[in-house]
Amino acid sequence: MKVLSKLVAIVLVIALIGGMFIVSSTGKAASNVPKNFVKVTYLMLGDPPTNGQLEKVSAEWNKVLKKKVNANLELKFTGWADWYTKYNMILASGEPIDLITSADDWLDLWPNAARGAFKPLDDLLPKYAPITWKSVPQSHWKLCKYNGKIIAIPEDQFTQWVNHGFFYRGDWARQAGIKLPIKDFETIEKYLDWIKKNKPGVIPWDAAVSIGQEIWDGWVESHTDAIGLPFGTGYHRIFWGKSAKDWATVYSPIFDNTMIEYAKMMKRWSDKGYFRKDVLTYKGDTRSALKEGKTGLDEHHTQTYLGLRVDMDKKQPGSDLQFFPWCYTRGNLVRLSILHGATCVGRNSKNPERALMVYDLIRNDPQVYRLVNYGIEGVQYILKKKNGVLVRATPPNYDENKHAFWSNFWGGRNDKLEIPSENTPIEIRNQLWGYFDKIAKDFPYTGWAFDPKPIQAELAALSNITNTYGPAISFGKVKDPVKAVQEYRNRLKAAGYDKALKEVQKQLLKFKKQMANQ
Amino acid sequence: MEVSSKETRIQQDTSGIVIKIVAYIFITLFTLACLIPFIIVISTSFTSESYIIKHGYQLIPRQFTVFAYKLIAADPQYLIGSYVVTILNTLIGTTVGLFLIAMTGYALQRPDFPYRNTISFYIYFTTLFSGGLVPYYLLVTQVLHLKDNYLAILLPSLMSPWLIILMKNFMKSIPHSITESAKIDGAGDFTIFVRIILPMAKPALATVGLFLALGYWNEWYNAMLFLSSSVKYVPLQLFLYNVVSKADFIRNSAAAANVPPQDIPMESMKMATAVAATGPIILVYPFVQKYFIKGITVGAVKG
Amino acid sequence: MNLPANSSRMSYKSKSRFSKLRNSKTLLLMCMPAIIFFFVFSYIPMPGLYIAFVDYRYDLGIFKSPFVGLSNFKFLVISGDLWRLTRNTVLYNIAFILVGSIVEILIAILLNEIAAQRYRKVTQTIMLFPNFISYVLVGLIAYNFLNYDYGVINNLLKNFGAEPIDFYSNPNLWPFIIVATRIWKGAGYGSVIYFATITNIDPEIIESALIDGASTFQKIRYIILPLLKPTFVILLLFSLGGILRGDFGLFYNLVGSNNSILFEKTDIIETFVFRSLMNNFNFSLASAVSFYQSVFGFFIVTFANWLIKKIEPEYALF
Repeated sequence: MKVLSKLVAIVLVIALIGGMFIVSSTGKAASNVPKNFVKVTYLMLGDPPTNGQLEKVSAEWNKVLKKKVNANLELKFTGWADWYTKYNMILASGEPIDLITSADDWLDLWPNAARGAFKPLDDLLPKYAPITWKSVPQSHWKLCKYNGKIIAIPEDQFTQWVNHGFFYRGDWARQAGIKLPIKDFETIEKYLDWIKKNKPGVIPWDAAVSIGQEIWDGWVESHTDAIGLPFGTGYHRIFWGKSAKDWATVYSPIFDNTMIEYAKMMKRWSDKGYFRKDVLTYKGDTRSALKEGKTGLDEHHTQTYLGLRVDMDKKQPGSDLQFFPWCYTRGNLVRLSILHGATCVGRNSKNPERALMVYDLIRNDPQVYRLVNYGIEGVQYILKKKNGVLVRATPPNYDENKHAFWSNFWGGRNDKLEIPSENTPIEIRNQLWGYFDKIAKDFPYTGWAFDPKPIQAELAALSNITNTYGPAISFGKVKDPVKAVQEYRNRLKAAGYDKALKEVQKQLLKFKKQMANQ
Repeated sequence: MEVSSKETRIQQDTSGIVIKIVAYIFITLFTLACLIPFIIVISTSFTSESYIIKHGYQLIPRQFTVFAYKLIAADPQYLIGSYVVTILNTLIGTTVGLFLIAMTGYALQRPDFPYRNTISFYIYFTTLFSGGLVPYYLLVTQVLHLKDNYLAILLPSLMSPWLIILMKNFMKSIPHSITESAKIDGAGDFTIFVRIILPMAKPALATVGLFLALGYWNEWYNAMLFLSSSVKYVPLQLFLYNVVSKADFIRNSAAAANVPPQDIPMESMKMATAVAATGPIILVYPFVQKYFIKGITVGAVKG
Repeated sequence: MNLPANSSRMSYKSKSRFSKLRNSKTLLLMCMPAIIFFFVFSYIPMPGLYIAFVDYRYDLGIFKSPFVGLSNFKFLVISGDLWRLTRNTVLYNIAFILVGSIVEILIAILLNEIAAQRYRKVTQTIMLFPNFISYVLVGLIAYNFLNYDYGVINNLLKNFGAEPIDFYSNPNLWPFIIVATRIWKGAGYGSVIYFATITNIDPEIIESALIDGASTFQKIRYIILPLLKPTFVILLLFSLGGILRGDFGLFYNLVGSNNSILFEKTDIIETFVFRSLMNNFNFSLASAVSFYQSVFGFFIVTFANWLIKKIEPEYALF
């Protein structure tokens, strides 16, 4: 008896603890009857705001959604900690999530489609997301198909330029006697050299090692007409399409002079001390250093530049921050994939119809759009006119800690409903955008559902080798660049480069045929 | 432990003196090595961001500022919530886990328990083979339905093979004759365990309890996997991890064209959060340790 | 032992002819929570190891996904690094086990010799501190100590007129740095077990030895050390099972995943897998690696256990 009573006591204690701890928030089983109230979940990347604003703004949009489609929208965030694992894990586990943020170039849209993570939407879209269905041209919908079925909604009605380039200081460049704007790597070298000689205490380019991946892309884009294929191979992108015209021919600039010249230049930069001696381990923050006037060069894309320019004018007055996008050298620029942002419906979604109805509102209803993207008017932003344009301004009693709000909605923003922030340097923006728009060619690979399966082992092995050899070559930490590149190539060959190239080429030609037939 | 006889003290041999000197030197040096990084963390958290970017981390705060702490304090509810979660989790997990581990450990070392080797192997085997991440995730979310439930961070850490075997080993040092004589007195195994063994096993309980508690205190991985945004408060270490990795992400953002550019002092924020998340346990620990030391010495003098 | 006799149970008990069996039933019942616990958290997911042999399809589930045999293991082999990785991982773990145990035992024994209670408590507490800082912070701090241009160590060297050391380009220094960091972080924590074992030693044994004229050194050598042996052996057997599992956080944050100059000496299986899969997310490939590590560890442990059983059967795990 005693044993029994003890055990019972233990069980009770555990049960009690359990009871105290259960804060389960799984929604009640929802029915498919549209008249019924349902809760729609939407998987977002990153951390949610933790200042209570998400709850407040959610309450606002839920009022609207309740009225219009008898549903509520709950955002689920992956968190930034280990987000890549977690995102894929959530998809792998088949949790019944309704809407899922995806992207072909950084969130594995096609591999996940191949693994059966998403629901086909052909029948649902026209009925339940009619506005979106009509606003996305049929030619775009074609590109969102896997095995002949639409599995993603593209963010194709939103203009953003995320083409990369160097940021440099206009004031220093002018002092160095350089004619602005800088249009090639060679002039950047002159600029860095001037800093090294004339600005003691400044590291000309205080780069963190991860940036080398983007510099390689930039080098190739400014020295060839090649277009990067939309799948990663680690530190260096190995596979490229020959040019915008000859996009279905695969080749690798690692195996021609492009890589040799790159390795040589970076060796020179390293020897001259343009970056830290132990740059390969440095994980610091180039951008902060730039703002502190401790370095003269940074790298990122157009959107970042537009924000940073304003910031630099405040932090380093007179610095006149300039931008050298890679396409300045020879006009090699392609538009962003329309699937750079996308929304999919989860395979186990219980309410795909209602999810699409909600999505249609987020994307096309001005009221919901503003709530989801900007928050509550008067709290997160106020509207005003600037030079005749409607812009968002910061409310007078706005406190970043208390009022900041974001939803990370990157799967269907819409130019028609966008309101620029008053801080955007609109003139610089328009000038850059206008130029890009003029020279840019369409991205030829959207809709190419590359299937890595046949060369999975090779891709992993190749990625490992670029991740191993890439950083040292990209930052000149090799004795003899030519020899190092040769060794690099040998290792890639040994890891199955030829087999992988053949397979990629095969799949690309198949895609080309398919496009021609449509 | 105190050596009671005065004579033996006086009889200190030369090797004793040498070893004492070595002991003080070695322990002091090692302690300093453990202390210095902490001082750096604290001091950096009080140093201005621009100074850190220019000169690196500091042993003594330069350009003293409490800005990072102000930022944390501006919205303290999540830090406080994290504390509550971690403290409750640690307390409950350690208490329940310790009891279960001790019970298992005691049974497994009983020489008259025929299944002891089979069960020991059954437990040990799990350290060699595991299903891996996906099956584990599926188990917790789809079978046990513990997603967004604090039980998902409490239950998986209750027991570990290592702590059970450790406990079993400690328990071995309690003479079996004590169990036997109690049995002759007619006590059942569970009663013997609760009434006699547990009070005698204080050193073992203190040690294993400390490991359990440290494990719970440092836990972030299960929380990262299973507590998503719908749980308001996450354990401290995950909170800290989020601050650090979010800062890294914003900085290296490969994809996030859209993360708002923030002007937060990231370096000192990281450090300040580290201090805020670990500082108090360090202040509290000596009081807890008093209990451990007491437990250890009381338990050691067994009669 | 003045236990309140439970008369009803006693009479029941003495009546039984199978009291031994029933006794083990209670013991079995006491093991039940653990048995259930490991069944749920370890044995239920275990068949999921099968994921290493399939091309995992989310919509089909692990067991209905197409079987692909050993092709998930292929990437480990074709990169040509498997031997080097296995060697590095094993050697590092051996170093951690050996050096770690020595330092932990040393700390425990020396702490025990420190008579000043307060000093002992304070130092013991401080030695646990590193356990609380994450490897992310450890990596940041290490960089601040070791970097060439502004590192604390090199600043000191420069002040004394010495040549700065380029730590991050010199692979031969890294085994020492990594082992030292690991010891620094874990020794205080690890020594708790040994310290507890020492305090658990019956004081009479030590006292009588001292009265018999044993020196402090002899006390340590002939009483304390032998009594620490079982703990050491158990720790050893536990570490051996994971001999091919590396401490990713330690290596990743200290060395980074980009400094290939150091890889010859610092690359372990986990960092290799990280570099291979960071752009090609694939659960099946990751599981294949884990399977390889498990099988390797399983054989090592079985062998070690067999060996220990021959020498000292008392210490064997199973």
